[in-house]
Amino acid sequence: MKKWIVILCLLLVPALASAGDRTLFVYNWTEYMPDEVLTAFEEKTGINVVYSTYDSNESMYAKVKLTQGKGYDVVFPSTYFVHKMRKEGLLSPIDHASLANFKHLDPVLLDKPYDPGNTYSIPYVWGSTALAFNRDQVAPEKMQSWKDLWRPEFKNRLVMNDDVREVLGVGLIINGFSVNDTDPDHIRMAYESIRSLMPNIRVFSGDSPKQPLLNLEAWAGMVWNGEAYMAAQDFPAIQYAYPEEGAIFWVDSMVIPKEARNKKEALAFIDFILEPENALLVCEYIGYAPANRTAVGMMPEELKNNPTIFPDPEDVKKGEFQTDVGDAILVYERYWERLKTGM
Amino acid sequence: MNEKQGFKFFAVFLNMTWFALFVLAPGLMVVGISFLTRDISTFFAWPLTLDHYRELVDPVYAKVLKNSLVYSFNTTLLCLGIGYPFAWFLSRAPGHRRPLLLMMVIIPFWTSSLIRTYALVILMKANGIINTVLLAAGLVSEPVSMLYTDAAVYVGLVYSLLPFMILPLYAVLEKMDIRLMEAARDLGAGSFQVFIHVVLPLSLPGVMAGCIMVFLPAMGLFYIPDLLGGAKTMLVGNFIKNQFLTAGNWPFGSAASVFLLLLMVVMLGIYFFISTRFNRSQES
Repeated sequence: MKKWIVILCLLLVPALASAGDRTLFVYNWTEYMPDEVLTAFEEKTGINVVYSTYDSNESMYAKVKLTQGKGYDVVFPSTYFVHKMRKEGLLSPIDHASLANFKHLDPVLLDKPYDPGNTYSIPYVWGSTALAFNRDQVAPEKMQSWKDLWRPEFKNRLVMNDDVREVLGVGLIINGFSVNDTDPDHIRMAYESIRSLMPNIRVFSGDSPKQPLLNLEAWAGMVWNGEAYMAAQDFPAIQYAYPEEGAIFWVDSMVIPKEARNKKEALAFIDFILEPENALLVCEYIGYAPANRTAVGMMPEELKNNPTIFPDPEDVKKGEFQTDVGDAILVYERYWERLKTGM
Repeated sequence: MNEKQGFKFFAVFLNMTWFALFVLAPGLMVVGISFLTRDISTFFAWPLTLDHYRELVDPVYAKVLKNSLVYSFNTTLLCLGIGYPFAWFLSRAPGHRRPLLLMMVIIPFWTSSLIRTYALVILMKANGIINTVLLAAGLVSEPVSMLYTDAAVYVGLVYSLLPFMILPLYAVLEKMDIRLMEAARDLGAGSFQVFIHVVLPLSLPGVMAGCIMVFLPAMGLFYIPDLLGGAKTMLVGNFIKNQFLTAGNWPFGSAASVFLLLLMVVMLGIYFFISTRFNRSQES
């Protein structure tokens, strides 16, 4: 019995030791922030960071919604989830005056319809979903359009994101519709197109779409630009391409949940991330473009000119940002089930 | 109340509270939610409805269930085929070696099965360990396609679940009285007949227990088909997860969970029915 008491006491020691310090709970996407940045923040401010990760907006939303955000202080939703969470009163307003580094943000990414005046969200990074391929197996001219995915030589050789909105989004694009379409007939047409793509799809990757490309299991497919950037660091033959119909774009923002317990620390963290040096570090590590104009100005030429991270303004214009589709998600999900049951 | 009884009460009380709080209560919540209506901002809301159970009667979901059952059934058969001879030799191994052999069955459990699944990816990928060796040895000229196939899914499932088959089989085979087999031989039975008429009937409880312990978890291990099979087939586990997370349709996801739960209750019921009859016929 005594032994147990000793062990219990030992387990309690770390809990007690940290009780007096300031703590910040950060909830972010996987592989979305380098450890160095977190350590630097801890050293600078003395605030302990407890960092946890999620792999989809939906699972983040379910947790934040159920607790009203108690337990998380900074979260990184994508545009259409900022919109949804703001509407539902889940977010706490952010005082721009307390963010000394707010001025570094790129005005092009501010004051968007999903959060007018950026009252509740501060953009973190932005990126795209487009084509990637392995130059050893695929000639660049064979990957110019979303339609190229249907080429017969890619039979059983494609990787796709395991994401209903993005995969059916490609189907919508090639039928000439918006990726945010809510018309059930259009979604059905998208589903029929993707169903004819199924023989080419080798894997739907939910955790890391770069892996099948690095494993040589897939020769091409649809990936996020940051994944393609990271893959090319290890394996330069992997190339990213913006399809002529336009890529799918998104912005991920930093928000503070309404019931967050450490709001002051959260503001300090957001301001720290907005420091150009830190935004630069983030970009070098994850390969997504920072929403930070000053940081982009400071970048070495090769990073600034990397088309994987910074698309041509023309490509951005052609592309589309995802928004919330409301109840149409049920229609999407219905066709997704059919797709994956081969019906 | 003496100390021993106090301890007994404490242990039982602790267990019951634990199960009531973390198994029974969430389970009842799932049952409750399955009769409510989907709501985009609160996940579920009044009024009560049976719609979600009606929606379940759809060929798409029958196919989802069939896919899961086929994977589970084949995995169980493979585990039985591999596990039975293994458990037999284990139970006949010299007494002093058995603990070591049993340890080797159990040691992989010390690592998370998710991590072991990623290890299988490293083994099977096109530029992975197996293909590198095969290519270097000149046995193949192109990497063999192993990952993202059905075969890879079965390798993963059987690898993860085999010990659940071996351990119950070992337990019955080890206890089996060797003299019964000797008697059968003396009466003129060949090896095959000894196996069919003596060993197999006596080990049936182990076979049943092993099959149940492999079949039921195989229905739920959807991350193995996702990681090794490429997520191209939707299984019951993916389906429920998508209903909760992507579609935000908690009542429908709950209804599917309740249906799965009932299916498992029925299977366990059949198991207990057969095993009690079996025990009774043994006694008589």
